Amino acid sequence: MRLPRDISPAAAARRSLLADFLAALVLALLAITLAAGIGVVGFAAILILLVLLLWLGIEATLRWSLGRRVRQREAHLR
Amino acid sequence: MGPTRRARQARRLPLWRRARRVLLLACCICLIPAGVSFVGAMGQARNVGLGVSSVEWLRQHGGNPIVSQIENWYYTLSAPEKGGPALRSLPRVGVTAAGGNGQSEIKAGYRPANVVPLIHPALPGEGVWKKAAANAGPRPPVLLTTFRSDPEYPQFVAGVAWIDSARTELAYVPGLAEPPPPLAHRGPAEVPHSMRKRVVATFNGGFPLETSNAGLIYRGKVVEAMVNGVATVVEYRDGRVDIVKWESGAGAPKNVWSAKQNLPPIIDEGRLNPNLSDGPAWGETVNNAVRVWRSGIGIDSRGNLLYAAANYQTVESLAKVLQRAGAVRALELDINEDWTSFISYRHPGALEPGNLLPEMLRPPERYLTPDERDFFAVYLRPKEKW
Repeated sequence: MRLPRDISPAAAARRSLLADFLAALVLALLAITLAAGIGVVGFAAILILLVLLLWLGIEATLRWSLGRRVRQREAHLR
Repeated sequence: MGPTRRARQARRLPLWRRARRVLLLACCICLIPAGVSFVGAMGQARNVGLGVSSVEWLRQHGGNPIVSQIENWYYTLSAPEKGGPALRSLPRVGVTAAGGNGQSEIKAGYRPANVVPLIHPALPGEGVWKKAAANAGPRPPVLLTTFRSDPEYPQFVAGVAWIDSARTELAYVPGLAEPPPPLAHRGPAEVPHSMRKRVVATFNGGFPLETSNAGLIYRGKVVEAMVNGVATVVEYRDGRVDIVKWESGAGAPKNVWSAKQNLPPIIDEGRLNPNLSDGPAWGETVNNAVRVWRSGIGIDSRGNLLYAAANYQTVESLAKVLQRAGAVRALELDINEDWTSFISYRHPGALEPGNLLPEMLRPPERYLTPDERDFFAVYLRPKEKW
């Protein structure tokens, strides 16, 4: 069975999210199996999560800030 | 290429963004079992703060090397500087006024010689034994003293307790979480109410089994296989207590009621262990040379116990404190301010408990409520009276 290839962008996004979730599940199970204990896994997960959230936060702030500047320039030009 | 496919490809996320998303999701998934375990552990009865409990949870779930490494960094960065202004007085320990006039009364029976001060001029009362309990009679079961333990650090004060083994008996008391479950006959994890009329002192146990590379015998049964060569506090079935370098194999000898092991001996046959520097034999813990609250228990040549504790000690300096106080064999007990406690009780019924040193973090009532860690209780023998 083959997956349909011509799908809407929203469906493609959902499909990609599902694939990523499955990959994340495999990664998490691997980490839980190989680590010395669930404490190590939780500790590492919190640290990585904090870094990623910080990264996402900075990225979102920069995007919002740049977008606002562009909007202001466009408004000024009009 | 059709428009739909073009639109899909236009919206496709770059690979690094997808990798980031996978990592984010994996972290969230990992946090589910960890969170369930953590919340469950925090919901159990405990008498330490959330921070300490969290660290303990991390230690017990594979994170001991991480915790030890962070502790090493922290204590190394916050290490004290040598020298500093001289002390003018020592913290007050023991009882001097109540129930008699101290020294003249104490001299009625055998008492250890006062500890010779290391730093001169000595401060008033430095190294002088004082009884721990009021109305303790001519043969107080517990004596306390303090002295400055290191000439390079003249502000450090060590507290030492001497325990008369002829008048007292030692009991190993399991805590709520140490030794870890399952454990038969765990008990109340505090000084039992039925024994409070006889309790004269309580003090902290050793490292958790997970970090000590050592064994435990409780009520004559092996809880964790004993390890030869490891220092051991032994309580025999006839009530005798000793500190030995264990050479009796993994099992429980018939005459042993309890035996708690902790690391190699720090003093053996009157001499300091020549290998007090770090190595795998010292367990997964803070480095031996790091200055931190440390405690230890020794035995003198007459079979009486000596407990010592102080802040900013290395394993070597702790061993020297015990040796100076008269210990011929000794082992290190638990370390860190959260776990180091010696409490004496001034009156029968566990009344007026007091810490050996005023800087000890845990309250004097610590062992009168269920405690996380195992500890030792010192009781007057049944025929002895206060």
